[in-house]
Amino acid sequence: MDRPAAGASYQRFPRVRIRELRDDYAKFELRDTDASMANALRRVMIAEVPTVAIDLVEIEVNSSVLNDEFIAHRLGLIPLTSAAAMQMRFSRDCDACDGDGSCEYCSVEFHLAARAESDQTLEVTSNDLRSNDPKVCPVDQARAYQQALSGSDFDPNTGDQRGILIVKLRRGQELRLRAIARKGIGKDHAKWSPAATVTFMYEPDIRINEELMETLTLDEKRSWVESSPTKVFAIDPITEQVRVADAEEYTYDDEVIKKAEAMGKPGLVEINAKEDSFIFTVETTGAITAYELIMNAITVLRQKLDAVRLQDDDGDLGELDAHLGGP
Amino acid sequence: MNAPDRYERFVVPEGTKKVSYERDTKIVNAASFTIEREDHTIGNIVRMQLHRDPNVLFAGYKLPHPLQYKIIVRIHTTSQSSPTQAYSQAISDLDKELEYLKQAFEDEKNRREQRQELP
Ligand SMILES: [Zn+2]
Repeated sequence: MDRPAAGASYQRFPRVRIRELRDDYAKFELRDTDASMANALRRVMIAEVPTVAIDLVEIEVNSSVLNDEFIAHRLGLIPLTSAAAMQMRFSRDCDACDGDGSCEYCSVEFHLAARAESDQTLEVTSNDLRSNDPKVCPVDQARAYQQALSGSDFDPNTGDQRGILIVKLRRGQELRLRAIARKGIGKDHAKWSPAATVTFMYEPDIRINEELMETLTLDEKRSWVESSPTKVFAIDPITEQVRVADAEEYTYDDEVIKKAEAMGKPGLVEINAKEDSFIFTVETTGAITAYELIMNAITVLRQKLDAVRLQDDDGDLGELDAHLGGP
Repeated sequence: MNAPDRYERFVVPEGTKKVSYERDTKIVNAASFTIEREDHTIGNIVRMQLHRDPNVLFAGYKLPHPLQYKIIVRIHTTSQSSPTQAYSQAISDLDKELEYLKQAFEDEKNRREQRQELP
């Protein structure tokens, strides 16, 4: 068998089509690559794209009903704007503060002070956190700031603008603390994951056997179309023909195939997953935008690949082995 | 109490090599690569990329244990190539694919923005 000489490239050239792109949401098609690449991107987006999150909390006063650890945990889960995270240092690699993890290169400091003075319950939220770095703050604070800049109506007490609830205080109770936010990845702790959801599906290729379909009565067609748990097929009201309404609604459940067999019409429809076409849905926590998440995932994956390259000495050693004792 | 530190999953301990290479003692052109602190993310793309190389007779990876943070990639090639050569080629092909993908994303985003500005 003829094989090309070693050193040939087997690189692929994937294609992309973005269907929807908003700040915290993206839907796109990825083609001409395989599931391993799609899955690597998904895994990196979830667990290895860095963000900033509160990692150390020093509590000065806490007379709330929640204990210190509980509050520290809740603070950690608040998404912080992390556009700068890719350029930040991990505290463990930071030489400016030798491992203490609290210098400007690897950390951001927050303060929170709240005390309920009136009879009304005081809600302490992410809006009460004060950052010492304007680039890093709770995501809803950043959004409110953006809206204020653009001049749209902004009421801090309605809907999304209330911030993320940390704890409720009654009269006389107080919470005062200092928190350090650090760069991290979802693999370390889920609080650092920028991804709310990242999923991909194979694009389905659905082929109806029109000839066989025409042997069905309208009632049979209806019951076959309805056998699908999702709205994949529809009947044209005029021609009474079965057509594919939305191929991507198909969940690979095989129900329509089983139904066709039960009706004595095997082969009525053929459904295959296109093995090199993927539809991605990406949703972020707001820490970074969906577009940043995708781009950073590519960058991080390339860094990972770079780290697993053979070093020069590895290759030479291998060759040396071959000369010395190899068969 | 005796739980391993979470960072042990992705920080290579000092004095440990990220990738080590061991030739098979019985089969020519076969070798195992032990990659420290990596998992299915790297293991599976490298394996699938190696499968695209017709000089690769076998390529597989395993994650020996969920608490041993390393993968082992095994490669067997024809005499036209070698495991190190196939491995290095797979890594650079993947890297170039991602470089291309990044550009594709940027271009698509620019095209989209132009489309939206037109009407
Ligand atoms: Zn530092």
